[in-house]
Amino acid sequence: MSTVSLLAVLIALFSLVPLGYVAYMTVATGWDTAVELIFRPRVGELLLNTVLLTVITVPLCLVLGAGGAWLVERTTLRGHRWWAVALAAPLAIPAFVNSYSWVSAIPSLAGIWSGVLIATLSYFPLVYIPAAAALGRLDPAIEQSAASLGLGPWAVFFRVVLPQLRIALTGGALLVSLHLLAEYGAFAMIRFDTFTTAIMVQFQSTFNGTAGNMLASVLVFLCLILLLAEVKSRGTARYARIGSGAPAKATRLPLRHYQLPAQLSLAAVTVLAFGVPVWFVLKWLIAGGVEVWAADEFMPALLQTLLYGAVGAAVTTVVAFPMAYLAVRRPSWFSKLLELSNYVTSSLPGIVVGLAFVTVSIRAVPGIYQTAGVLIAAYVLLFLPRALVNLRSGLAQAPKELDEAAQSLGKAPLTSFVRVTLRLTAPAAAGGAALVFLAIVNELTATLLLSPNGTRTLATEFWSKSSEIDYTGAAPYALLMIVLSAPMTYLLFQQSKKVAGQ
Amino acid sequence: MKLRKNALVGIAVAATAVFGLAACGSNSNTGSAASGSAAAGGGITVYNAQHESLTKEWIDAFTAETGIKVTVRQGSDTEMSNQIIQEGEASPADVFLTENSPAMTQVENAGLFADVDKATVEQVPAEFRPSTGKWTGIAARSTVLVYDKNKISEDKLPKSMLDLANPEWKGKWAASPTGADFQAIVSALLELKGEAATDAWLAGMKENFKAYKGNSTAMKAVNAGEVDAALIYHYYYYGDQADTGENSNNVTPYYFKNQDPGAFLSVSGGGVLKSSKNAADAQAFLKFITGKQGQEILKNGTSFEYPVGSQVEANKALVPIKDLEAPTVDPAKLNSTQVTDLMTKAGLL
Amino acid sequence: MTEQSPSSLPVFRVAPSVAPTTNTHLEIAEVTKNFGSQSVLKGVDLSVAKGGTTAIVGPSGSGKTTLLRLIAGFEHPDTGSISLSGQPVAGNGVWIPAHKRHVGYVAQDGALFPHLTVGQNIAFGLNAGKLDGGRRAVNARVQELLEMVSLDAAMVKRRPHQLSGGQQQRVALARALAREPELMLLDEPFSALDAGLRVATRRAVAKVLNEAGVTTILVTHDQAEALSFADQVAIMRGGKLAQIGNPFVVYTRPADRATAELLGDAVILDAWMEGSLATCSLGGVPVRRPPAQGKVQLMLRPEQIRIAPDGPIRGVVVDTDYFGPETTVRIKLAETNASQHAASGNGHRYPGGGEVITIRHWNASITKPGTELCLRVVGEGVAFPQEREHGQE
Repeated sequence: MSTVSLLAVLIALFSLVPLGYVAYMTVATGWDTAVELIFRPRVGELLLNTVLLTVITVPLCLVLGAGGAWLVERTTLRGHRWWAVALAAPLAIPAFVNSYSWVSAIPSLAGIWSGVLIATLSYFPLVYIPAAAALGRLDPAIEQSAASLGLGPWAVFFRVVLPQLRIALTGGALLVSLHLLAEYGAFAMIRFDTFTTAIMVQFQSTFNGTAGNMLASVLVFLCLILLLAEVKSRGTARYARIGSGAPAKATRLPLRHYQLPAQLSLAAVTVLAFGVPVWFVLKWLIAGGVEVWAADEFMPALLQTLLYGAVGAAVTTVVAFPMAYLAVRRPSWFSKLLELSNYVTSSLPGIVVGLAFVTVSIRAVPGIYQTAGVLIAAYVLLFLPRALVNLRSGLAQAPKELDEAAQSLGKAPLTSFVRVTLRLTAPAAAGGAALVFLAIVNELTATLLLSPNGTRTLATEFWSKSSEIDYTGAAPYALLMIVLSAPMTYLLFQQSKKVAGQ
Repeated sequence: MKLRKNALVGIAVAATAVFGLAACGSNSNTGSAASGSAAAGGGITVYNAQHESLTKEWIDAFTAETGIKVTVRQGSDTEMSNQIIQEGEASPADVFLTENSPAMTQVENAGLFADVDKATVEQVPAEFRPSTGKWTGIAARSTVLVYDKNKISEDKLPKSMLDLANPEWKGKWAASPTGADFQAIVSALLELKGEAATDAWLAGMKENFKAYKGNSTAMKAVNAGEVDAALIYHYYYYGDQADTGENSNNVTPYYFKNQDPGAFLSVSGGGVLKSSKNAADAQAFLKFITGKQGQEILKNGTSFEYPVGSQVEANKALVPIKDLEAPTVDPAKLNSTQVTDLMTKAGLL
Repeated sequence: MTEQSPSSLPVFRVAPSVAPTTNTHLEIAEVTKNFGSQSVLKGVDLSVAKGGTTAIVGPSGSGKTTLLRLIAGFEHPDTGSISLSGQPVAGNGVWIPAHKRHVGYVAQDGALFPHLTVGQNIAFGLNAGKLDGGRRAVNARVQELLEMVSLDAAMVKRRPHQLSGGQQQRVALARALAREPELMLLDEPFSALDAGLRVATRRAVAKVLNEAGVTTILVTHDQAEALSFADQVAIMRGGKLAQIGNPFVVYTRPADRATAELLGDAVILDAWMEGSLATCSLGGVPVRRPPAQGKVQLMLRPEQIRIAPDGPIRGVVVDTDYFGPETTVRIKLAETNASQHAASGNGHRYPGGGEVITIRHWNASITKPGTELCLRVVGEGVAFPQEREHGQE
């Protein structure tokens, strides 16, 4: 086996640690206790909450995301360039900050519908962005052929356009559901209990107790089901352009008297998803005055967040490289299997990964317990796919023919790899690293569990302040998280336009 | 393979980064800003389940006095007690501070505490510490029912905490069951009335109560009119009143008295871990916070908890301890593990 | 001339003018290559002389590109050996990697580096430190090369995506020539170009390489390209070389039917070979080297069948296709009179006529469907043994 393959296998094995942990704990607990802890009314409550949340939120996100994407990309919407950014912008606001703002606005917010509201507003960009990218790359020739076969505009939309969005929509739906399963802060703040909040509660009461681990195993099971559903629904159809020649620009459907309603509805969505959070953060900031900025936890928290973000992003990108290389240059069932193992782990919520690492480090490798390395390792596991997806598309733009051409021109293999392949992959790698940075800045649960003593990040500080209802104290952290996330969100938006419909 | 070199370089970079951070992670910066100029010795690590602001006041004063640096790991009572037990010998903690007693008992029963210095023990009266001398009380708080005067008239107030499980209280009261504070109240109930009665009460609670995350949030909800009453600790009310009052102006505190479980006085604990590598500094810290200076911070500071040591009186705004008619509970008998099990079984966790 | 094998399977024939001498530049001996379970090259032998141009032509999937990549050093041969100027570079435990072989390679789509300008692409293989005059010398050389491939000097600053397909190919060629390689490998370099551009570019490239005296190997599936470009043509089929020879020889005397059809249109008729005369529906056609006696398949090129008013063979025009300079004419040959041959008692041997053949003619007016024509055969034919698998008569 070549070095690359060996590396990739090691990484894949490493990424299976959390899954292995959950399986081990389930087995070690013993069947009777496990059954007792899993099949009880409380779990039934949590399951109901979680399932309802997912079942209601995902379709809403799909409608908002796909509808918004269609309006922006395929109609004569005025100012569609601005709307394109505005609809992606809510991604810059972490869900728990969103929750914090809404709770400030309507303190009695609680229960399933509040959960749905906040979740939808926070996560619809996850559907919007790939849908917009896919729509922007659609081949108008296909629609024109459909029109020539007698289909009117609505029929064209439902029978021709929507099916081509399938990959983007199923991928987006999966992302939204996984985020819903993993989200803690947002739902804890509105007193909506899901598996993750219950696991956190168990953790706070029993640290590494059995009940918490059993909940984790149910959660993992749900995640795996979602993954399978997504793979199945993706189907085997191909969506890339067949045939030579460059695709022409798509025509835009004229809106005419729908222009105003469209503008208003998009404005409403933007106000709710972006305007409200930003408004309340600023309100609390102003209410707090200058003192909240002078808090001496502020600078250390900011610096530590930046440091963890940067190191985490760099390490993740490097670690993703062997797998990306295999997937692009030597695709086979082997590379697919490796990718799958990693994909599975990354779908696990941060809290499960955190719990796994806590247990493994305490019981197996005490030396690394509570070190920064373990936290970075958790970040790597959680966010590897983001780097991987970008690296893959970057590597695909540096086919081996270029490498060979460089070698035939006298450059040694390593030189040609660096000067050609690496150089061409660099922008995509940077994009992937930026995405990982964004994710780390907003990560809460794994950080709470794993960070070394005295570590403060923007997210954990925000959380501890808002838990004590110190909203003014929490505001600067919220603002800074938004400010740090904004450029990355923009980058994600730009990148998605270049990535082909995968 | 052409990739070998590049891959090895990549691993080297990653490994260096990881180990570099690991190294600086283990001696990370302190949580307190008042590190002073010349720090003596290696400093201590405190696993703190008390309110961050209170401990910060203690640490600032302690470090200013002695120059010893303190690193804080913030958490909740049972999270940290369980963590300490899991960590065992390898625990980096020197001192463990809690808000309530059950977590201390749990760690004590695991045999992880070192004896508290005699000098420290002598500063605290016997009712605020376990007889074993493995840890000591550092502060205390009283259970209280805060309620909305407009919603509940004085004659409708419950005589006992046990009444809250009755059907007429359905949907009328709030609590934060996920917090260690409430779990301590349940542990006192368990100790005073036994498992059967606790089971029944918890079942009734599940029917009747509204869950909130955090005592302050529960009080805020009463203040806003969302719920009629909340079972919390006293200092949340007084603390907010001393501040802006925006979360408590509409609520009134009600003390159960009569040695009712609802009058439970919970003792916050502090102990030195056997595994501590800086035992002397750790003991000094414990001595400081139970000493006059430390206890006065409770009296004059913003925490509004009851002082327990060095004959320091409580803040003027509070009801004096002797007037609370709290039930006598041996802190060493409070069992947090059983409480979590019971609450899990009742579907509250 | 070459020996003729008595068996009916094609054996590659090497014309003496390019037979191996001490002047061999490239020698490929019994090279095989498998990809997984798929056997792509099944034993290839080839010699290329210094300064010569060889075209390897064959259908898609025949292994031509693989062979080229083996020569370039991008793949390892499974068995066999490859030598450059007498020095082994692959096989028998030897391996010289691609970047040390000093072989120029132009890929099918140019493979220009998208992140570099045209000038930087061309200069990629040059080492500024090694050349006398450093950077300036490099720039001068780049200009020289651009001129060599007939590109405007101002193109230096452009990026590959701003060039047309033909221009990109020429830049790729210039880039490969920069290092003055002695052996150039071209992988279907003109296939992506429009038809009109193809011929012009081909001529320009051939001229450049000829003047530079570079040994060239061109891989193509276009027979016209192979025949016009090279002085040695190798036909590749099914992972083996079916025939090697100069263009005229391989075209007029193909080794087997498949090769014949690959290199151009062929009229194939059943015939009866006696001595060196093959009798078919077009009459008796002399064959220089009959591979067998009796039933054979006779191959004639369409241009050998002329419409002549006094021709001995009769036929009727079935339909025509006018395509400008010429017209394709499909003619049904007259049925031969059985009695003609009955006397010699060999009536059953001779074909009975009635086949439809395709020829070309410049004059559309005389070839209207239904017209009766007289035909005459010019020159020699090539005979192939009857294909046994088809079990024909």
